[in-house]
Amino acid sequence: MAAVQGGQVDAVEEKDIKTEPSGDGFGNNNANEGRMVSTSPGASAPAGSNKTAAGAPEDQQTLLAVLQFLKKNNLTESVEILRREAGLPENSLDPNGADSTGAGAGGTTGCVDLEGGDASSLLSRVTVSSSAGAQAPTKAVAEDQPDVNVVLSAYSQQGDPALYEVYYSSLKKFIESVLDCHRAELSQVFYPLFVHMYLELVYNNHESEAKSFFEKFSGDQECYYEDDLRVLSSLTKKEHMRGNETLLDFRTSKFVLRISRDSYQLLKRHLQERQNNQIWNIIQEHLYIDIFDGMPRSKSQIDAMSGSLAGEAKREANKAKVYYGLLKEPEIELPLDDEDEEAENEEGKPKKKKPKKDSMGSKSKKQDPNAPSQSRIPLPELKDSDKLDKIMYMKESTKKIRLGPDTLPSICFYSFLNAYQGLTAVDFTDDSSLIAGGFADSTVRVWSVTPKKLRKVKSAADLNLIDKESDDVLERIMDEKTASESKILYGHSGPVYGISFSPDRNYLLSSSEDGTVRLWSLQTYTCLVGYKGHNYPVWDTQFSPHGYYFVSGGHDRVARLWATDHYQPLRIFSGHLADVTCTRFHPNSNYVATGSSDRTIRLWDVLNGNCVRIFTGHKGPIHALAFSPNGKFLASGATDGRVLLWDIGHGLMVGELKGHTDTIYSLRFSRDGEILASGSMDNTARLWDATKAFDDLETDDFTAATGHVHLQDNSQELLLGTYMTKSTPVIHLHFTRRNLLLAAGSYNA
Amino acid sequence: MSAPKTIPKDAQVMIQILKDMGITEYEPRVINQMLEFTYRYVTTIIEDAKIYATHAKKSNVDADDIKLAIQCRMDQSFTSPPPRDFLMEVARQKNQTPLPLIKPYSGPRLPPDRYCLTAPNYRLKSIQKKVSSSASRISVPRLSVGAVSSRPTTPTLGTPSVQSVTSKVSAPVSLSGQRFTVQIPPPSQTTTTKTATPPTPAVSNVLINPSLISSKNILITTNMVSQSSGGESLKRKHEEDDDYDTL
Repeated sequence: MAAVQGGQVDAVEEKDIKTEPSGDGFGNNNANEGRMVSTSPGASAPAGSNKTAAGAPEDQQTLLAVLQFLKKNNLTESVEILRREAGLPENSLDPNGADSTGAGAGGTTGCVDLEGGDASSLLSRVTVSSSAGAQAPTKAVAEDQPDVNVVLSAYSQQGDPALYEVYYSSLKKFIESVLDCHRAELSQVFYPLFVHMYLELVYNNHESEAKSFFEKFSGDQECYYEDDLRVLSSLTKKEHMRGNETLLDFRTSKFVLRISRDSYQLLKRHLQERQNNQIWNIIQEHLYIDIFDGMPRSKSQIDAMSGSLAGEAKREANKAKVYYGLLKEPEIELPLDDEDEEAENEEGKPKKKKPKKDSMGSKSKKQDPNAPSQSRIPLPELKDSDKLDKIMYMKESTKKIRLGPDTLPSICFYSFLNAYQGLTAVDFTDDSSLIAGGFADSTVRVWSVTPKKLRKVKSAADLNLIDKESDDVLERIMDEKTASESKILYGHSGPVYGISFSPDRNYLLSSSEDGTVRLWSLQTYTCLVGYKGHNYPVWDTQFSPHGYYFVSGGHDRVARLWATDHYQPLRIFSGHLADVTCTRFHPNSNYVATGSSDRTIRLWDVLNGNCVRIFTGHKGPIHALAFSPNGKFLASGATDGRVLLWDIGHGLMVGELKGHTDTIYSLRFSRDGEILASGSMDNTARLWDATKAFDDLETDDFTAATGHVHLQDNSQELLLGTYMTKSTPVIHLHFTRRNLLLAAGSYNA
Repeated sequence: MSAPKTIPKDAQVMIQILKDMGITEYEPRVINQMLEFTYRYVTTIIEDAKIYATHAKKSNVDADDIKLAIQCRMDQSFTSPPPRDFLMEVARQKNQTPLPLIKPYSGPRLPPDRYCLTAPNYRLKSIQKKVSSSASRISVPRLSVGAVSSRPTTPTLGTPSVQSVTSKVSAPVSLSGQRFTVQIPPPSQTTTTKTATPPTPAVSNVLINPSLISSKNILITTNMVSQSSGGESLKRKHEEDDDYDTL
C-alpha cells in the first residue's frame, strides 16, 4: 500500500477492500508493515486481520517471517519454541505455506537480521525489502555483507521477465488515455517505474530482456533524465550494481511523487482491477505517493519541480520551522577618535563621552521572531581585533554604492594566467584584501590584492627582541624579509577543490581530493591542522560567517560540521543520495545548505543535524549556492544553466532565471541583496534584479500548503546585463564592501 | 617519419566508449589515459589471478580466479563510500551530542597538539666534544687550518683531498696561525676504504679556530675519512650514528 497521507482513516478504509489479493488493505498505519506482508499475498489476509490499527510493530512482522522460514526448512522444533516464546497465535502461519518465494526469503533476511543482531536500521531495511525473492544461498552471503545483499535482495522476481514490457506498455497506454489534466501528473510515474523495473531485470540476471526493455522505453522518458539513463544503459549485470552507492540509495529510498487525489484514484483503480499487479507492487514498494487535495498540476509546474534523483520533496519535509532571520549585531559604538577602544561596549549604553552610536543591527530591541536566539548555537565572542574589524566594516558600508537596475556595479575581473585549467577553487577575503587560489597540482596560492605585501611572522627568537609595548607591535612582529606578493602553500596530495578564508583573515581552509581539509595560518603561512574524516574527495568547504565553525562536503555523500579546535566533526549531515558538491552557511550560522549531485538542495540545522528543507527542481548537479543577505532566500545554480530562487521560510521555489547556457559555478548577492550576480562556464557573468524577483510573492496559504509553484517566465526582465569574458569561465564572484563586483577565473587559451 | 594513418583498434574502442557515454568533448590525451588505465588494470587482475591459480594448484587460470582477483582489487583500490544506513546511524549518534561550549579568550582555537601539524619535525643536534676511548668514531668540532689553498667553508662532497699534510704532532704546539698538521691515528676497523684514499689517513678539511687553541694540550680529534661513506668523505663528520641520541 502506497503510503497515503491521511494515515489512520485511510488505513481503516483500505481494510474493507482487502479481499483482493493485491496485498492492499491492511489496518496498518505503518506503511512498512503493509509492504512487508503485501508481497506475500497468501499471508496477507489473516496476517492483516491480526494486526490491529493500534500499530503492530515491525518486530511482529519479522517474527512471522522467521517463523515462515523455519517452517519452510522443516525446523519444526524451532518453530514451536519461537512461537511459544514470541507468543504468536497458531493460525498466523497457515496460508504462508503456499507462498514460498516472498515470505520465505523475507524470512531469510529477517532471520539473518536477528542472528546478526543488527541495529534497528537494518531491521527497517529488512522490512522494507519485503519481497526478498532471493534464493536461499543469499543467507550465507548475506551474513558476510548484510547491507549489500539485503538491499540487493530488494528486487524480487515479480513475474515473468518477458512480460515486463507488456506491463509497462499497458500502463503507458492507460496513461495516454486519461484526461489531459491527469495525464501530466500520472506521467511522473514513468521514470521511477522504468528504472526500478529495469534494475529488477538486471538483478535477476535477465540481461537480454533488460536490454530490450531499455531500448524500447528509454526514449519515452523526460529529457532531463538523460544522464541517468545513460548511466543505466551501461549497467547490464548484477555485479555492476554493487559498489555504486548512488544506485543503492536510489533503490532503498522511496521516490517521492506528488499527485492530486483524483489522479491517484484513477491510477489505483486501473491497476487494481487487473490481475497481474506487478506494477502495483512496485509502486507500493518503491514509490511514495504524496497525495494532496486540489487541482492537478500542469506539466510545466511538474517539470519545474522534478528532476532530482529522489523525486520531489514530501510536504512534511519542508514544514519544520526555520529561523532564517539574522542574528542581532552587537552594538559597537563608533568612537569619535579611533584609538579610544574603551568607549565600546556590547550593550550600546550611551557613555559620558557621547561617541557616535552606530548600530548595525535592527533598531528595535525586540527579537525578530524569525531570527534564532543568540545562544541557540554557541558562537565565539568578539575579540578586540574583531571589534576593530567591525568598525572598519561599518565605515566601509557607509560608503557603499546603492545598486539597482539603473546603477549596475562595475566588475573587476581577476584572470589567472598560465593555470592550464588547473585552477579549481578561488576565494576572496571579506574586505577583498587577499585572494587565494586552489590548484589541481595540489598547491594553494595566496595573493595580496592591495599594494600591501604578504609577510610572515618573525621566528620565536626574533619575537623576543621586539618591544611589546609599542603601538605598532602588530607591524613589528612581521618579518620584513619575507615580504612578497604571493605565497604558496604546499601540503595537499591532490587537487584542491574548495577554499575559504576565515572572517578574521587569520586562517585559510582548503579541501582536497586527498580527503582532508587543511587549516593554514595566514600569519606564518604554514599548515596548522589536517582534518581527516571524509576518506574521499572533499568537494567544498566554507568557514562560518562568525568564524570557528566550518562545513565540508564530499564524495561520501555527507557534509560535516567542524570546529577548528576539534579534530573530529561535530555534526554529520547525512541524507543526500549522491556527492555533496556545494556547502554554504546561512548568514546567521545556524543553518547549512548543501547542494548535491542528486540534484537536490538540503538545508540542515546546525543545532541538531536535522534536514529542515529539501529543494528539488534542478536537472543537474548543483555547483553554486548563495544566501541572500537578509537570510530569507537562497539562490542555486547547476549544470543545467538555470538559477533557481527559493523561499526558505515557506520552502518553495519562487523564481527561475534562465539565460546561461552552461554550468553555473558562482553566485553572489550584492551587499544589500538588490542584485544577484551569476558566473558560468559559458564565459559570461550575468546580473539579475533580485529585488524584483523577490517582490510580490504569492505565498498564500494554498501555495504553501500544496507546494504549487506559479513561476513567471520573466527571466528576460530580470536580466540586467550580460558581460562576456575572453574565453575565461567565471568561477568566483565577490562583492566588495562598497558593492564593486570582483570576479575570478582562469584564462583558457 | 610516417605517422600511422589509422588509429589503433584499442584507441578506436575507447573513442566508441566515450561516444556511447555521451561525452563529446575531450582532450586527445584522454584516450591515452584510458588505454593506460585499461592495460594496467587488466594486467594487475590477470597477474593476481595467476597467483591465486597457482595457490590453488591449478594449471590454468579460470574464471573463478579472475573473479576473486577482481573482488580483492575492488576492496582494495576501488572502494566505495559507506552505505547510507551506516552513515545515517553514525550521523544520528554524532548529532545527538550538543554542540560544545566555546571557551573564551583561548588564543588560536586549535585541536590538541598531537592532532595538529605544528610540532617540529626535526630535532636540533647539540655539538659536543666527545672523548672516546677507542681511536675510532670521534667527533670533532670544525677546526680551521690556516693557509690552506682551497678551503671551502662548507664541507664538500668529493674525493678527500689531502689538504693538510700529515705529520706528527707533538703535544704542546705553539701556534702562530701557521699551517700545522694533524695526524690522526688510523682506526682499528678501517677495513673498507671505499675511495682511493691513500693508506695514510687522509685528513678531512679541518678548520681550527685559533682562538680555541691554547698553548697547552690540544686535543684534536677528527673522524676518519674512511669511516664515513666512501664518496662523501668531506661531509660533516658530525653526523655519524653516535651523534643521534639513542632513543
